[in-house]
Amino acid sequence: MLIKKLPPLQSFQLLVSRPASHLARQQYDVIVVGGGHAGTEAAAAAARVGAETLLVTQKIHTIGALSCNPSLGGVGKGQLVKEVDALDGLCGRAGDWAGIHFSILNRRKGPAVWGPRAQLDRQRYREFIQSELLGTPRLTVLEGSVEELLVTEPNPEKPGHHRVTGIRLANGNHSISASSVVLTTGTFLSGSLFMGQTTSPGGRIGDAPSSAGLSHTLRERLGLRIGRLRTGTPPRIVKDSVDLSQAKLHPPDRHPTPFSFLNKNTRCKPEDQLPCYLTFTTPGVERVVRESLHLNCHIQQDTKGPRYCPSIESRVLRFPGRRHQVWLEPEGVTSDLLYPQGLSMTMPPDVQLRLIREIPAMHRAEIRTPGYGVQYDFVCPTQLSPALQVKSTQGLFLAGQINGTTGYEEAAAQGLWAGVNAARWALSMSPVILSRTESYIGVLIDDLVTRGVTEPYRMFTSRAEFRTALRPDNADLRLTLKGRYKVGCVSSLRYQETVRVKDNLQEVLEALQTLVLSTPSWRKKIVVSLKLGLCSKFLCAFFLSGMDVLQYNDVSFEMLASVFPECLSPYMEFSQRLKIEAVYRPLCDLQKKDIERIQKEENMSLPLDIDYFSLPVSLSQEVREILDRVRPSTLGAATRLEGITPAAIAHLLNYARHTGQKERRMHRNQLCARNASLPQ
Amino acid sequence: MLTSVCRGILRGAVHKLRTRGAPLARLLCSNEEDIVGLGDADTIFALSSGQGRCGVAVVRVSGPASPTALRCMAGLTHSLPPPRTALLRSITDPQSKEVLDRGLVLWFPAPHSFTGEDSVEFHIHGGLAVTTAVLQALGNMSGMRPAEAGEFTRRAFQAGKLDLTEVEGLGDLIHAETEAQRRQALRQMSGELGRLYQDWSHRLKRCLAHVEAFIDFSEDELIEDGVLNQVDKAVVDLQTEMERHLKDERRGELLRSGVQVVIAGATNAGKSSLLNTLCQRPAAIVSPIAGTTRDVVETALDIGGFPVHLSDTAGLRESPDLVEREGVRRARERMEQADLTLVVVDSALLPCDAEQGAAFLQGHLRSVLSNQEQPETALPADKCLLVLNKSDLLPEDGRQKLTGELRRVSGLPPICLISCHSNEGLQDFLTVLHSRVKTLCGNPLSGAPTLTQARHRAHLQQCKAALAQYHRYRDTDLALAAEGVRLALTSLGRITGRVGAEEILDIIFKDFCIGK
Repeated sequence: MLIKKLPPLQSFQLLVSRPASHLARQQYDVIVVGGGHAGTEAAAAAARVGAETLLVTQKIHTIGALSCNPSLGGVGKGQLVKEVDALDGLCGRAGDWAGIHFSILNRRKGPAVWGPRAQLDRQRYREFIQSELLGTPRLTVLEGSVEELLVTEPNPEKPGHHRVTGIRLANGNHSISASSVVLTTGTFLSGSLFMGQTTSPGGRIGDAPSSAGLSHTLRERLGLRIGRLRTGTPPRIVKDSVDLSQAKLHPPDRHPTPFSFLNKNTRCKPEDQLPCYLTFTTPGVERVVRESLHLNCHIQQDTKGPRYCPSIESRVLRFPGRRHQVWLEPEGVTSDLLYPQGLSMTMPPDVQLRLIREIPAMHRAEIRTPGYGVQYDFVCPTQLSPALQVKSTQGLFLAGQINGTTGYEEAAAQGLWAGVNAARWALSMSPVILSRTESYIGVLIDDLVTRGVTEPYRMFTSRAEFRTALRPDNADLRLTLKGRYKVGCVSSLRYQETVRVKDNLQEVLEALQTLVLSTPSWRKKIVVSLKLGLCSKFLCAFFLSGMDVLQYNDVSFEMLASVFPECLSPYMEFSQRLKIEAVYRPLCDLQKKDIERIQKEENMSLPLDIDYFSLPVSLSQEVREILDRVRPSTLGAATRLEGITPAAIAHLLNYARHTGQKERRMHRNQLCARNASLPQ
Repeated sequence: MLTSVCRGILRGAVHKLRTRGAPLARLLCSNEEDIVGLGDADTIFALSSGQGRCGVAVVRVSGPASPTALRCMAGLTHSLPPPRTALLRSITDPQSKEVLDRGLVLWFPAPHSFTGEDSVEFHIHGGLAVTTAVLQALGNMSGMRPAEAGEFTRRAFQAGKLDLTEVEGLGDLIHAETEAQRRQALRQMSGELGRLYQDWSHRLKRCLAHVEAFIDFSEDELIEDGVLNQVDKAVVDLQTEMERHLKDERRGELLRSGVQVVIAGATNAGKSSLLNTLCQRPAAIVSPIAGTTRDVVETALDIGGFPVHLSDTAGLRESPDLVEREGVRRARERMEQADLTLVVVDSALLPCDAEQGAAFLQGHLRSVLSNQEQPETALPADKCLLVLNKSDLLPEDGRQKLTGELRRVSGLPPICLISCHSNEGLQDFLTVLHSRVKTLCGNPLSGAPTLTQARHRAHLQQCKAALAQYHRYRDTDLALAAEGVRLALTSLGRITGRVGAEEILDIIFKDFCIGK
């Protein structure tokens, strides 16, 4: 399948530049606030599920902007992109459209931890996202600033519990009502920018700060616990001023691998890809950092930054006397800028210039825009359900940096899931939850809502305990079918493609299982030694199936297909997936029991409004306090809390069994009642 | 279908080859270690009768491998005995073929068993040597592992074998068993063995952190290639050490068996006098000087036929003296591990009024006995006995009245008024102590050190086997190699405590500079 041609952008601009009062409707199912990675995925997903959706953003022009690094994917993050794509999200296809340098990281470390990654052309990425949103039925985009979140008075029976009714816009005092609102405000929630000793309100340089009203509603009216985090971005360097001969050339993969399961090729031709360059810091860099500390507000602040170092300042301060890597990345095909990955800094612009010129390749470099730091509010995510809905406010969903995460991919993944659930809430469907046993998105959300964050949360593959099963290659099999029937966010086109892949894989796996030969005959046929390096218990046998043989290091599917062309050659397009499947399946089978146990526990939901202090079961005060603070939504989440004993779990299990049915019935009634009360 | 036929052929082939000693045998014989630990070790066993001097010990086995266990151990090669019928057999160790005991075996096919699974019971002689040998033989069979706390009950629950009232008690039961096992494990873990396991766990954590760092960050960051070589060496070292440890037949440390009873209290309450009175010899030095006992004085006793391990500890008080402070630390450590604590109080300090007396005792339990780090956690009432010593110093008419009134106050542990000086009240105290010890011994899990040991062994074996996976995949697939280390850490973590992903990330961020 080829990448489709983009529709012209002008019509898009025309469609949405009308004033808010001229909107076709004054009531939507879902309103998404924010047009970044979380917001665009949320809006598109909500519309795919079937909700009339409105995306409100400050500037239509910046929808789909890459605020920081011009790249997508990586180790752990690439898995998220594949999963978002498997659920028919945008970012995978956008990456294939905008990518100008594709590589698979960790190529030599095993397919479970491969990290598909691409450098992006900023403009092409934005174009793709904008035109995708334009082509999405049921989705309207509106330029405006949200002044206030409209919520009902607290429910007298449940103090502190609200319901979202819509938003009020800043200009014209215009209100729009909706059943669900998804907030994806990124760094704009009470954001302030830091450069040298100056501080200014805002979430991104060049953009107006968002209104204080939203922050006030969350904090004061809804009583949400709010924390503060910081991040930063490096200066952008003029490409022609850099002496690239002094940096190490880092070419892309010869054959670009697309992110999307729907694409066979990337838009960028293999030979048109642009390289990256690697260079290193010098002792001079460290000196400049130390000399300018007194001029650097951001670094002096004690707001929680991540333990992994976000800025060159914290890198040289925490690990002094070392050289640190700096990647020089292209910003686009026509861009004259380079992005120096690893040089995020917040010192005054003149010092920034001095610093980068300490690096040999940049000794005459010019800065186009200086780096700066951002501090912003986030909502402690333990206040959210696994559907990313604020537990105390029905219909309010949060996604992206507002939940304390960092990274485009993390934002996109949450955005998609919040959008799906916002739409389902608006359409009176039950919430859907992804398990950490089936996806990185599930790991991400479960970590956020049960453990909370103390630093910007970033995905690592080591966070997924079932990493060998959650591979980039099988994201479609894990999620697309579920996404079609249980979630409702997958188009029939993608569904059919996945069914085709699944059927084909099943056929060829069966064929491989039934090809059974003795070890010597295999040796004769495929002329390899079948070294016993890779020994699982199946491989110690005298008779081996094609599947067993494929586990050996030196055997490829192509070899088997050349021996049995009649039954295997129709499946050549799956050769890599088959090889991976053969190696991983026996190990994944061993984990199946653990996975089933966890899934069983995750299917036992605990009502969100249990009063743990008066629960008539024997739990210690300490355990009650932990449960009350975190309010796990499932028994599975409760077992992962620190300080929860097996005995406490047994008590909760009983409770969940007894009350589960009752609660479910009540929930249904509640939904019906709410729908009856909605204005038609 | 075809594969199952092949497996059948295969089994035959393996058999032939093994008997003929063909050169291919090496290819065919699987390395047993690979399978132990990686397969789902689903059949569990435990000593289901209490410890102490019982005539018969019952070992229960539950899970799919139980019929195999029965066949191998009871020499029943042809058929299983009729269900639920006792059969007298010689019990043999399937590996060494040594006869361990002669006892009754019972076969409970699913679903008609306590757990609803295939189950087997061995009724053997109650001596320590026999039960240890049988438990060890079971532990050496593939697919078998010692039961975790409450696991039999949990399985019964899952199979729907418990009625509603039993289900409601399940949490408490698991709690009691977990607590008992935790105390037992603490006993085993304090000292050399504990330090050894902790050290292994620490080194494994670093190994995992470094492999994970290499996986998650090495493409973008500066992580030296030497990191993996260091891990290689560390893993080999760990394997060798574990191997040596598992082969060490001396077992390292002598197990402290019996009910653990600790005498604790403020200085000069008469703790050492109580010890001497109980063991009827001057085992500990007594003097009117506060802080005479500084170390733990231990003695083994027999109370009404039950083995009791009695420890006298240093008086609990804040002291500037370094030696005494260590004594107090040890005293607290012992209390943490104890099945039963005898809290000795100088009754001359008690206010005469019952209400004030009760308040005094509650305050005493909280302030003197509680841990310094968690000042609000008092000793649970079911884990201790209050011994009011020096009753001879109280006016004679007040004694009965005081204890009578104090006993009516709820929330206090049982109270005994005694005098180690005049032996007054001693008989009543011994009766109470005897009944508590009897209850404790009745709990099958309260202190079977052999089972704890068997469990440690099983986990260590799994740990070692998982480390082999690291080497197997080191060069071809680092994700699978890391999985081996992770599995090893999980197995070891069952002894030393769970290790979460965050802990690994902590090490990564401490050891490496990771950029964005």
